[in-house]
Amino acid sequence: MVDDADARSGADAAHLEGCSECQARMKVVAEDASSIAALLAVPEARVDVGAAFQGVMQQPKSQPALVRFPILRPASRPTFALVAAVVAAAVVIVAFTFSGFFFKPTTVKTVPVTVADVQALSQLADYGTITWSKEPQLQATTSAADASSVAGGLQPPTVSKLPAGVSTNVTYGAMSEAVATFTFSAEKAAAAAAKHGKTLPPMPAGMDGATLTITVGPAVGEVYGDLNRPSADTNTINLPQLIIARSAAPTAKATGVTVNDLESFILAQPGITPELKKAVSAIGDPSTTLLIPVPIEYATSTQVTVQGVDGVALGDNTGVGSAVVWVKGGSVYVVAGSIKQSEAINIANNLK
Amino acid sequence: MQLGARLMTSVRSEEAAFEALFTAEYARVVGIANRVLADPHEAEDVAQDVFIDFHRLHSASADYAPAWLHRAAAHASLNRLRGARRRLKREVAQAMQEGDRALDPQKQMEVNEDRRHVRQALARLAPKPAAALALRASGLSYVEVSQALGVGIGQVGTLLRRAEAALRKEVTRGTSD
Repeated sequence: MVDDADARSGADAAHLEGCSECQARMKVVAEDASSIAALLAVPEARVDVGAAFQGVMQQPKSQPALVRFPILRPASRPTFALVAAVVAAAVVIVAFTFSGFFFKPTTVKTVPVTVADVQALSQLADYGTITWSKEPQLQATTSAADASSVAGGLQPPTVSKLPAGVSTNVTYGAMSEAVATFTFSAEKAAAAAAKHGKTLPPMPAGMDGATLTITVGPAVGEVYGDLNRPSADTNTINLPQLIIARSAAPTAKATGVTVNDLESFILAQPGITPELKKAVSAIGDPSTTLLIPVPIEYATSTQVTVQGVDGVALGDNTGVGSAVVWVKGGSVYVVAGSIKQSEAINIANNLK
Repeated sequence: MQLGARLMTSVRSEEAAFEALFTAEYARVVGIANRVLADPHEAEDVAQDVFIDFHRLHSASADYAPAWLHRAAAHASLNRLRGARRRLKREVAQAMQEGDRALDPQKQMEVNEDRRHVRQALARLAPKPAAALALRASGLSYVEVSQALGVGIGQVGTLLRRAEAALRKEVTRGTSD
Protein backbone atom coordinates (compact mmCIF):
# COMPACT_ATOMS: atom_id res chain seq x y z
CA MET A 1 0.00 0.00 0.00
CA VAL A 2 1.70 3.19 -1.15
CA ASP A 3 0.90 6.84 -1.70
CA ASP A 4 1.49 6.59 -5.45
CA ALA A 5 -1.74 5.34 -7.02
CA ASP A 6 0.11 4.11 -10.13
CA ALA A 7 2.41 1.91 -8.07
CA ARG A 8 -0.43 0.05 -6.33
CA SER A 9 -1.11 -3.41 -7.66
CA GLY A 10 -4.64 -4.24 -8.84
CA ALA A 11 -5.30 -6.45 -5.81
CA ASP A 12 -4.10 -3.75 -3.39
CA ALA A 13 -6.24 -1.10 -5.06
CA ALA A 14 -9.31 -3.35 -4.93
CA HIS A 15 -8.70 -4.15 -1.28
CA LEU A 16 -8.15 -0.51 -0.36
CA GLU A 17 -11.52 0.41 -1.83
CA GLY A 18 -13.39 -1.86 0.53
CA CYS A 19 -11.28 -1.71 3.72
CA SER A 20 -11.88 1.24 6.03
CA GLU A 21 -8.94 0.29 8.27
CA CYS A 22 -6.53 0.43 5.34
CA GLN A 23 -8.11 3.64 4.11
CA ALA A 24 -7.44 5.24 7.50
CA ARG A 25 -3.84 4.00 7.48
CA MET A 26 -3.45 5.18 3.90
CA LYS A 27 -4.68 8.63 4.94
CA VAL A 28 -2.02 8.85 7.67
CA VAL A 29 0.71 7.77 5.21
CA ALA A 30 -0.43 10.29 2.62
CA GLU A 31 -0.55 13.09 5.19
CA ASP A 32 2.89 12.19 6.48
CA ALA A 33 4.26 12.19 2.94
CA SER A 34 2.71 15.54 2.11
CA SER A 35 3.98 17.12 5.33
CA ILE A 36 7.51 16.00 4.40
CA ALA A 37 6.98 17.32 0.89
CA ALA A 38 5.98 20.65 2.46
CA LEU A 39 9.13 20.63 4.59
CA LEU A 40 11.24 20.16 1.48
CA ALA A 41 9.30 22.69 -0.60
CA VAL A 42 11.36 25.34 -2.41
CA PRO A 43 10.54 28.03 -4.96
CA GLU A 44 10.72 26.43 -8.38
CA ALA A 45 13.96 26.93 -10.29
CA ARG A 46 13.29 28.64 -13.60
CA VAL A 47 15.60 27.30 -16.27
CA ASP A 48 16.53 28.26 -19.81
CA VAL A 49 17.11 24.81 -21.29
CA GLY A 50 18.48 26.11 -24.62
CA ALA A 51 21.05 28.38 -22.99
CA ALA A 52 22.03 25.65 -20.51
CA PHE A 53 22.53 23.18 -23.37
CA GLN A 54 24.78 25.61 -25.23
CA GLY A 55 26.73 26.18 -22.02
CA VAL A 56 27.25 22.48 -21.46
CA MET A 57 28.30 21.83 -25.06
CA GLN A 58 30.85 24.65 -24.95
CA GLN A 59 32.62 23.07 -22.00
CA PRO A 60 35.62 21.30 -23.51
CA LYS A 61 35.40 18.64 -20.85
CA SER A 62 31.91 17.68 -22.00
CA GLN A 63 33.18 16.38 -25.32
CA PRO A 64 32.91 12.62 -25.42
CA ALA A 65 36.21 10.85 -25.78
CA LEU A 66 36.42 10.16 -29.50
CA VAL A 67 38.99 7.49 -28.93
CA ARG A 68 36.93 5.90 -26.22
CA PHE A 69 38.11 2.34 -25.97
CA PRO A 70 35.46 -0.21 -26.99
CA ILE A 71 35.23 -1.58 -23.46
CA LEU A 72 34.17 1.80 -22.12
CA ARG A 73 31.22 2.07 -24.42
CA PRO A 74 27.93 1.19 -22.79
CA ALA A 75 26.34 -1.53 -24.85
CA SER A 76 22.83 -1.74 -23.52
CA ARG A 77 21.37 -0.82 -26.88
CA PRO A 78 23.81 -1.06 -29.76
CA THR A 79 23.49 -4.04 -32.04
CA PHE A 80 26.27 -6.54 -32.47
CA ALA A 81 27.21 -4.97 -35.76
CA LEU A 82 27.75 -1.66 -34.01
CA VAL A 83 29.97 -3.30 -31.43
CA ALA A 84 31.96 -4.80 -34.27
CA ALA A 85 32.09 -1.38 -35.92
CA VAL A 86 33.40 0.18 -32.73
CA VAL A 87 36.14 -2.43 -32.48
CA ALA A 88 37.01 -1.87 -36.11
CA ALA A 89 36.84 1.88 -35.60
CA ALA A 90 39.47 1.69 -32.90
CA VAL A 91 41.78 0.03 -35.40
CA VAL A 92 40.83 2.50 -38.14
CA ILE A 93 41.33 5.52 -35.87
CA VAL A 94 44.74 4.21 -34.92
CA ALA A 95 45.58 3.65 -38.55
CA PHE A 96 44.36 7.04 -39.72
CA THR A 97 45.65 9.29 -37.03
CA PHE A 98 49.02 7.74 -36.70
CA SER A 99 49.46 6.19 -40.10
CA GLY A 100 52.49 8.32 -40.80
CA PHE A 101 54.42 6.58 -38.09
CA PHE A 102 54.34 2.94 -38.97
CA PHE A 103 54.59 0.73 -41.97
CA LYS A 104 54.44 -2.72 -40.43
CA PRO A 105 53.99 -2.68 -36.71
CA THR A 106 55.55 -5.46 -34.71
CA THR A 107 54.95 -3.99 -31.27
CA VAL A 108 52.51 -1.70 -29.46
CA LYS A 109 52.88 1.44 -27.35
CA THR A 110 50.29 3.75 -25.88
CA VAL A 111 50.37 7.51 -26.29
CA PRO A 112 48.31 9.80 -24.08
CA VAL A 113 45.95 12.04 -26.05
CA THR A 114 43.74 14.91 -24.97
CA VAL A 115 40.53 16.25 -26.50
CA ALA A 116 42.63 19.02 -28.08
CA ASP A 117 44.89 16.43 -29.73
CA VAL A 118 41.95 14.50 -31.11
CA GLN A 119 40.39 17.68 -32.49
CA ALA A 120 43.69 18.70 -34.07
CA LEU A 121 44.25 15.26 -35.58
CA SER A 122 40.72 15.00 -36.90
CA GLN A 123 41.35 18.18 -38.93
CA LEU A 124 43.87 16.18 -40.96
CA ALA A 125 40.91 14.49 -42.65
CA ASP A 126 40.17 17.85 -44.33
CA TYR A 127 43.63 18.02 -45.89
CA GLY A 128 42.82 15.75 -48.81
CA THR A 129 40.48 13.09 -50.11
CA ILE A 130 39.89 9.51 -49.03
CA THR A 131 39.01 6.84 -51.54
CA TRP A 132 38.31 3.24 -50.69
CA SER A 133 39.67 0.69 -53.07
CA LYS A 134 38.23 -2.04 -50.87
CA GLU A 135 35.37 -1.21 -48.54
CA PRO A 136 35.13 -3.01 -45.22
CA GLN A 137 32.23 -5.41 -44.78
CA LEU A 138 31.06 -5.84 -41.21
CA GLN A 139 29.06 -8.79 -40.02
CA ALA A 140 27.89 -10.30 -36.74
CA THR A 141 27.42 -14.06 -36.72
CA THR A 142 26.68 -16.80 -34.24
CA SER A 143 29.36 -19.17 -35.49
CA ALA A 144 33.12 -18.88 -35.53
CA ALA A 145 33.21 -20.50 -38.98
CA ASP A 146 30.94 -17.82 -40.52
CA ALA A 147 33.01 -15.05 -38.97
CA SER A 148 36.18 -16.62 -40.29
CA SER A 149 34.82 -16.83 -43.83
CA VAL A 150 33.88 -13.09 -43.81
CA ALA A 151 37.41 -12.33 -42.57
CA GLY A 152 39.08 -14.21 -45.42
CA GLY A 153 39.93 -17.26 -43.33
CA LEU A 154 41.31 -15.50 -40.25
CA GLN A 155 40.37 -17.65 -37.25
CA PRO A 156 38.90 -16.06 -34.13
CA PRO A 157 41.11 -16.80 -31.10
CA THR A 158 39.83 -19.45 -28.70
CA VAL A 159 39.63 -18.78 -24.98
CA SER A 160 40.70 -21.78 -22.92
CA LYS A 161 38.94 -20.76 -19.72
CA LEU A 162 36.50 -17.90 -19.05
CA PRO A 163 36.83 -16.06 -15.72
CA ALA A 164 34.09 -16.77 -13.18
CA GLY A 165 31.04 -14.63 -13.76
CA VAL A 166 31.57 -14.08 -17.49
CA SER A 167 28.60 -15.27 -19.54
CA THR A 168 29.26 -18.08 -22.03
CA ASN A 169 26.82 -16.37 -24.38
CA VAL A 170 29.06 -15.52 -27.35
CA THR A 171 28.61 -13.53 -30.55
CA TYR A 172 31.18 -13.40 -33.32
CA GLY A 173 31.95 -10.34 -35.40
CA ALA A 174 34.04 -10.05 -38.51
CA MET A 175 35.39 -7.35 -40.78
CA SER A 176 36.77 -7.99 -44.24
CA GLU A 177 40.05 -6.43 -45.33
CA ALA A 178 39.72 -2.77 -46.26
CA VAL A 179 42.06 -0.57 -48.25
CA ALA A 180 41.82 3.20 -48.31
CA THR A 181 44.00 5.79 -49.96
CA PHE A 182 44.39 9.32 -48.69
CA THR A 183 45.64 11.88 -51.20
CA PHE A 184 47.04 15.07 -49.67
CA SER A 185 46.00 18.35 -51.23
CA ALA A 186 47.83 21.60 -50.40
CA GLU A 187 44.81 23.58 -51.59
CA LYS A 188 42.35 21.72 -49.35
CA ALA A 189 44.70 21.93 -46.39
CA ALA A 190 45.05 25.69 -46.78
CA ALA A 191 41.27 26.09 -47.10
CA ALA A 192 40.68 23.96 -43.98
CA ALA A 193 43.22 25.94 -41.99
CA ALA A 194 41.74 29.25 -43.15
CA LYS A 195 38.27 28.09 -42.16
CA HIS A 196 39.48 27.47 -38.61
CA GLY A 197 41.50 30.67 -38.58
CA LYS A 198 44.75 28.80 -38.13
CA THR A 199 48.13 28.98 -39.77
CA LEU A 200 49.16 25.73 -41.35
CA PRO A 201 52.67 24.43 -40.67
CA PRO A 202 54.70 24.38 -43.91
CA MET A 203 53.98 21.27 -45.96
CA PRO A 204 57.03 19.16 -46.76
CA ALA A 205 58.15 19.31 -50.40
CA GLY A 206 56.23 16.81 -52.50
CA MET A 207 53.40 16.49 -50.03
CA ASP A 208 50.83 18.01 -52.40
CA GLY A 209 49.44 15.00 -54.25
CA ALA A 210 51.33 12.52 -52.06
CA THR A 211 49.32 9.41 -51.19
CA LEU A 212 49.07 7.23 -48.17
CA THR A 213 47.50 3.81 -48.65
CA ILE A 214 46.31 2.06 -45.55
CA THR A 215 45.23 -1.54 -45.27
CA VAL A 216 43.23 -2.55 -42.21
CA GLY A 217 41.86 -5.94 -41.32
CA PRO A 218 40.64 -8.49 -41.91
CA ALA A 219 39.56 -8.76 -38.31
CA VAL A 220 37.58 -11.26 -36.28
CA GLY A 221 36.36 -11.08 -32.74
CA GLU A 222 34.08 -12.58 -30.19
CA VAL A 223 31.95 -10.81 -27.64
CA TYR A 224 30.90 -12.58 -24.44
CA GLY A 225 27.93 -11.40 -22.44
CA ASP A 226 24.24 -10.74 -22.88
CA LEU A 227 24.27 -7.49 -24.81
CA ASN A 228 20.52 -6.97 -24.86
CA ARG A 229 19.86 -7.36 -21.19
CA PRO A 230 19.25 -3.99 -19.52
CA SER A 231 21.44 -3.17 -16.59
CA ALA A 232 19.60 -3.93 -13.34
CA ASP A 233 21.78 -1.71 -11.22
CA THR A 234 22.22 1.86 -12.38
CA ASN A 235 25.65 1.86 -10.76
CA THR A 236 26.98 -0.38 -13.47
CA ILE A 237 27.04 0.12 -17.20
CA ASN A 238 25.93 -2.89 -19.17
CA LEU A 239 29.26 -3.52 -20.90
CA PRO A 240 29.99 -6.60 -22.90
CA GLN A 241 31.77 -8.71 -20.33
CA LEU A 242 34.59 -9.73 -22.59
CA ILE A 243 35.73 -8.85 -26.11
CA ILE A 244 38.51 -10.76 -27.83
CA ALA A 245 39.61 -9.56 -31.23
CA ARG A 246 42.32 -10.35 -33.70
CA SER A 247 43.14 -8.21 -36.70
CA ALA A 248 45.81 -8.45 -39.35
CA ALA A 249 48.25 -5.70 -38.37
CA PRO A 250 47.40 -2.52 -40.28
CA THR A 251 49.94 -1.49 -42.86
CA ALA A 252 50.58 1.80 -44.59
CA LYS A 253 52.46 2.77 -47.72
CA ALA A 254 53.30 6.33 -48.66
CA THR A 255 54.28 7.82 -51.99
CA GLY A 256 55.91 11.20 -52.50
CA VAL A 257 56.78 11.83 -48.88
CA THR A 258 58.90 10.21 -46.16
CA VAL A 259 57.71 8.90 -42.80
CA ASN A 260 59.83 11.44 -40.96
CA ASP A 261 58.37 14.31 -42.99
CA LEU A 262 54.84 13.11 -42.26
CA GLU A 263 55.59 12.72 -38.56
CA SER A 264 56.98 16.24 -38.29
CA PHE A 265 54.07 17.68 -40.26
CA ILE A 266 51.42 15.96 -38.14
CA LEU A 267 53.10 16.91 -34.86
CA ALA A 268 53.35 20.53 -36.05
CA GLN A 269 49.56 20.82 -36.40
CA PRO A 270 48.07 23.67 -34.39
CA GLY A 271 46.46 22.22 -31.28
CA ILE A 272 48.75 19.22 -30.71
CA THR A 273 49.75 19.22 -27.06
CA PRO A 274 53.39 19.11 -25.92
CA GLU A 275 52.59 15.89 -24.02
CA LEU A 276 51.65 14.06 -27.22
CA LYS A 277 54.69 15.45 -29.07
CA LYS A 278 56.93 14.26 -26.28
CA ALA A 279 55.29 10.81 -26.12
CA VAL A 280 55.56 10.28 -29.86
CA SER A 281 59.17 11.49 -29.97
CA ALA A 282 60.01 9.00 -27.22
CA ILE A 283 58.91 6.04 -29.36
CA GLY A 284 61.99 4.18 -30.52
CA ASP A 285 61.27 3.09 -34.07
CA PRO A 286 58.07 4.67 -35.38
CA SER A 287 57.85 2.43 -38.42
CA THR A 288 57.44 -0.75 -36.37
CA THR A 289 55.31 0.51 -33.50
CA LEU A 290 51.53 0.51 -33.39
CA LEU A 291 50.44 3.54 -31.39
CA ILE A 292 47.31 3.25 -29.31
CA PRO A 293 45.79 6.59 -28.42
CA VAL A 294 44.53 6.56 -24.84
CA PRO A 295 42.59 9.50 -23.37
CA ILE A 296 44.98 11.06 -20.90
CA GLU A 297 42.53 11.23 -18.01
CA TYR A 298 40.89 7.85 -18.48
CA ALA A 299 43.50 5.21 -18.57
CA THR A 300 46.77 4.14 -17.15
CA SER A 301 48.86 1.75 -19.16
CA THR A 302 51.64 -0.63 -18.27
CA GLN A 303 54.06 -2.62 -20.39
CA VAL A 304 53.44 -6.34 -20.00
CA THR A 305 54.74 -9.54 -21.56
CA VAL A 306 52.00 -11.50 -23.29
CA GLN A 307 52.63 -14.78 -25.10
CA GLY A 308 56.33 -14.04 -25.03
CA VAL A 309 56.08 -10.62 -26.69
CA ASP A 310 55.73 -7.04 -25.41
CA GLY A 311 52.20 -5.77 -24.99
CA VAL A 312 50.35 -3.04 -23.17
CA ALA A 313 47.76 -3.46 -20.47
CA LEU A 314 45.19 -0.72 -20.02
CA GLY A 315 42.99 -0.31 -17.03
CA ASP A 316 40.59 2.53 -16.68
CA ASN A 317 40.70 4.55 -13.50
CA THR A 318 37.24 3.62 -12.28
CA GLY A 319 38.10 -0.07 -12.17
CA VAL A 320 35.23 -1.11 -14.41
CA GLY A 321 37.31 -2.48 -17.22
CA SER A 322 40.70 -3.45 -18.54
CA ALA A 323 42.35 -4.43 -21.79
CA VAL A 324 45.52 -6.03 -23.14
CA VAL A 325 46.85 -5.36 -26.64
CA TRP A 326 49.79 -7.03 -28.34
CA VAL A 327 51.17 -7.80 -31.79
CA LYS A 328 52.33 -11.29 -32.68
CA GLY A 329 52.87 -13.10 -35.96
CA GLY A 330 51.50 -10.20 -38.03
CA SER A 331 48.25 -9.94 -36.05
CA VAL A 332 47.10 -7.38 -33.48
CA TYR A 333 45.27 -9.00 -30.58
CA VAL A 334 42.94 -7.30 -28.09
CA VAL A 335 41.43 -8.76 -24.94
CA ALA A 336 39.11 -6.29 -23.23
CA GLY A 337 36.17 -6.35 -20.89
CA SER A 338 34.63 -5.54 -17.56
CA ILE A 339 37.14 -7.79 -15.86
CA LYS A 340 40.24 -7.33 -13.71
CA GLN A 341 43.53 -6.58 -15.42
CA SER A 342 45.06 -9.79 -14.06
CA GLU A 343 42.20 -11.76 -15.61
CA ALA A 344 42.67 -10.01 -18.96
CA ILE A 345 46.39 -10.85 -18.94
CA ASN A 346 45.61 -14.44 -17.97
CA ILE A 347 43.13 -14.85 -20.85
CA ALA A 348 45.63 -13.24 -23.23
CA ASN A 349 48.36 -15.68 -22.23
CA ASN A 350 46.07 -18.66 -22.71
CA LEU A 351 44.52 -17.72 -26.07
CA LYS A 352 44.79 -20.40 -28.71
CA MET B 1 32.95 5.14 -47.49
CA GLN B 2 30.73 2.59 -45.81
CA LEU B 3 32.58 2.51 -42.51
CA GLY B 4 33.29 6.24 -42.43
CA ALA B 5 29.67 7.02 -43.24
CA ARG B 6 28.45 4.66 -40.55
CA LEU B 7 30.73 6.21 -37.99
CA MET B 8 29.61 9.73 -38.91
CA THR B 9 25.96 8.67 -38.71
CA SER B 10 26.59 7.13 -35.34
CA VAL B 11 28.34 10.29 -34.03
CA ARG B 12 25.56 12.53 -35.33
CA SER B 13 22.78 10.38 -33.92
CA GLU B 14 24.58 10.33 -30.57
CA GLU B 15 24.69 14.13 -30.56
CA ALA B 16 21.00 14.35 -31.47
CA ALA B 17 20.14 11.80 -28.77
CA PHE B 18 22.07 13.80 -26.17
CA GLU B 19 20.27 17.01 -27.09
CA ALA B 20 16.91 15.24 -26.85
CA LEU B 21 17.85 13.76 -23.47
CA PHE B 22 19.04 17.16 -22.24
CA THR B 23 15.83 18.88 -23.35
CA ALA B 24 13.66 16.19 -21.77
CA GLU B 25 15.48 15.91 -18.45
CA TYR B 26 17.33 19.16 -17.69
CA ALA B 27 14.50 20.89 -15.80
CA ARG B 28 13.85 17.79 -13.75
CA VAL B 29 17.52 17.31 -12.90
CA VAL B 30 17.74 20.97 -11.79
CA GLY B 31 14.53 20.42 -9.82
CA ILE B 32 16.03 17.50 -7.88
CA ALA B 33 19.21 19.44 -7.09
CA ASN B 34 17.19 22.52 -6.11
CA ARG B 35 15.04 20.42 -3.80
CA VAL B 36 18.18 19.37 -1.93
CA LEU B 37 20.14 22.62 -2.04
CA ALA B 38 17.30 25.18 -1.99
CA ASP B 39 19.44 27.31 -4.28
CA PRO B 40 18.45 27.46 -7.98
CA HIS B 41 21.85 28.75 -9.12
CA GLU B 42 23.82 26.08 -7.38
CA ALA B 43 21.25 23.52 -8.56
CA GLU B 44 21.92 24.50 -12.18
CA ASP B 45 25.63 24.14 -11.51
CA VAL B 46 25.10 20.60 -10.23
CA ALA B 47 22.78 19.72 -13.12
CA GLN B 48 25.30 20.87 -15.71
CA ASP B 49 28.10 18.87 -14.05
CA VAL B 50 25.83 15.82 -14.01
CA PHE B 51 25.09 16.14 -17.74
CA ILE B 52 28.76 16.73 -18.56
CA ASP B 53 29.76 13.60 -16.65
CA PHE B 54 27.03 11.61 -18.34
CA HIS B 55 27.94 12.81 -21.83
CA ARG B 56 31.59 11.93 -21.39
CA LEU B 57 31.05 8.34 -20.47
CA HIS B 58 27.62 7.15 -21.51
CA SER B 59 25.47 6.84 -24.57
CA ALA B 60 22.47 9.18 -24.50
CA SER B 61 20.30 6.50 -26.05
CA ALA B 62 20.98 4.07 -23.19
CA ASP B 63 17.82 2.86 -21.47
CA TYR B 64 19.23 3.76 -18.08
CA ALA B 65 19.96 7.42 -19.00
CA PRO B 66 17.11 9.18 -17.09
CA ALA B 67 17.53 6.96 -14.01
CA TRP B 68 21.29 7.61 -14.03
CA LEU B 69 20.76 11.38 -14.24
CA HIS B 70 18.20 11.42 -11.41
CA ARG B 71 20.41 9.38 -9.14
CA ALA B 72 23.50 11.44 -9.96
CA ALA B 73 21.58 14.70 -9.37
CA ALA B 74 20.43 13.54 -5.94
CA HIS B 75 23.84 12.29 -4.85
CA ALA B 76 25.84 15.18 -6.29
CA SER B 77 23.61 17.76 -4.60
CA LEU B 78 23.58 15.85 -1.30
CA ASN B 79 27.38 15.79 -1.44
CA ARG B 80 27.42 19.55 -1.92
CA LEU B 81 24.98 19.98 0.93
CA ARG B 82 27.40 18.11 3.17
CA GLY B 83 30.34 20.24 2.07
CA ALA B 84 30.81 22.59 5.02
CA ARG B 85 32.79 25.15 3.05
CA ARG B 86 29.95 25.82 0.63
CA ARG B 87 27.28 25.99 3.27
CA LEU B 88 27.87 29.56 4.31
CA LYS B 89 27.88 30.81 0.73
CA ARG B 90 24.63 29.03 0.06
CA GLU B 91 22.92 30.37 3.12
CA VAL B 92 23.79 33.92 2.11
CA ALA B 93 22.43 33.22 -1.36
CA GLN B 94 19.28 31.71 0.08
CA ALA B 95 18.67 34.79 2.21
CA MET B 96 18.73 36.88 -0.92
CA GLN B 97 16.53 34.62 -2.97
CA GLU B 98 14.39 36.50 -5.44
CA GLY B 99 11.48 34.09 -5.59
CA ASP B 100 10.28 35.02 -2.10
CA ARG B 101 10.52 38.80 -2.29
CA ALA B 102 6.79 39.12 -1.88
CA LEU B 103 7.07 37.94 1.72
CA ASP B 104 7.61 40.48 4.47
CA PRO B 105 11.15 40.49 5.88
CA GLN B 106 10.19 38.86 9.19
CA LYS B 107 8.33 36.04 7.44
CA GLN B 108 11.18 35.69 4.94
CA MET B 109 13.67 35.19 7.76
CA GLU B 110 11.52 32.46 9.27
CA VAL B 111 11.14 30.70 5.94
CA ASN B 112 14.89 30.81 5.35
CA GLU B 113 15.58 29.54 8.85
CA ASP B 114 13.16 26.62 8.34
CA ARG B 115 14.73 25.70 5.02
CA ARG B 116 18.18 25.80 6.55
CA HIS B 117 17.12 23.48 9.38
CA VAL B 118 15.49 21.02 6.98
CA ARG B 119 18.59 20.93 4.76
CA GLN B 120 20.86 20.42 7.74
CA ALA B 121 18.65 17.52 8.81
CA LEU B 122 18.64 16.08 5.27
CA ALA B 123 22.45 16.25 5.17
CA ARG B 124 22.58 14.11 8.32
CA LEU B 125 20.51 11.25 6.81
CA ALA B 126 22.17 8.24 5.16
CA PRO B 127 22.63 8.77 1.38
CA LYS B 128 19.93 6.38 0.17
CA PRO B 129 16.99 7.61 2.27
CA ALA B 130 18.05 11.22 1.68
CA ALA B 131 18.12 10.63 -2.08
CA ALA B 132 14.77 8.83 -1.98
CA LEU B 133 13.13 11.80 -0.24
CA ALA B 134 14.66 14.33 -2.63
CA LEU B 135 13.58 12.35 -5.68
CA ARG B 136 10.04 11.73 -4.48
CA ALA B 137 9.60 15.36 -3.37
CA SER B 138 10.76 16.40 -6.85
CA GLY B 139 7.79 14.61 -8.36
CA LEU B 140 9.32 11.29 -9.39
CA SER B 141 6.94 8.34 -9.33
CA TYR B 142 7.63 5.23 -7.26
CA VAL B 143 8.76 3.46 -10.44
CA GLU B 144 11.20 6.27 -11.26
CA VAL B 145 12.55 6.35 -7.69
CA SER B 146 13.07 2.58 -7.80
CA GLN B 147 14.95 2.83 -11.13
CA ALA B 148 17.10 5.74 -9.96
CA LEU B 149 18.10 4.07 -6.71
CA GLY B 150 18.30 0.52 -8.03
CA VAL B 151 15.82 -0.86 -5.50
CA GLY B 152 12.77 -3.04 -6.15
CA ILE B 153 9.50 -1.19 -6.68
CA GLY B 154 8.08 -3.04 -3.67
CA GLN B 155 10.75 -1.55 -1.40
CA VAL B 156 10.19 2.09 -2.33
CA GLY B 157 7.21 2.61 -0.01
CA THR B 158 9.08 1.22 3.00
CA LEU B 159 12.24 3.16 2.11
CA LEU B 160 10.26 6.40 1.91
CA ARG B 161 8.31 5.84 5.14
CA ARG B 162 11.54 5.16 7.04
CA ALA B 163 13.25 8.13 5.42
CA GLU B 164 10.33 10.40 6.33
CA ALA B 165 10.47 9.24 9.95
CA ALA B 166 14.25 9.73 10.03
CA LEU B 167 14.00 13.23 8.56
CA ARG B 168 11.28 14.22 11.00
CA LYS B 169 13.44 12.97 13.86
CA GLU B 170 16.46 14.92 12.61
CA VAL B 171 14.42 18.11 12.13
CA THR B 172 13.06 17.83 15.67
CA ARG B 173 16.54 17.14 17.01
CA GLY B 174 17.88 20.13 15.09
CA THR B 175 15.28 22.54 16.49
CA SER B 176 15.56 21.26 20.10
CA ASP B 177 19.39 21.55 20.10
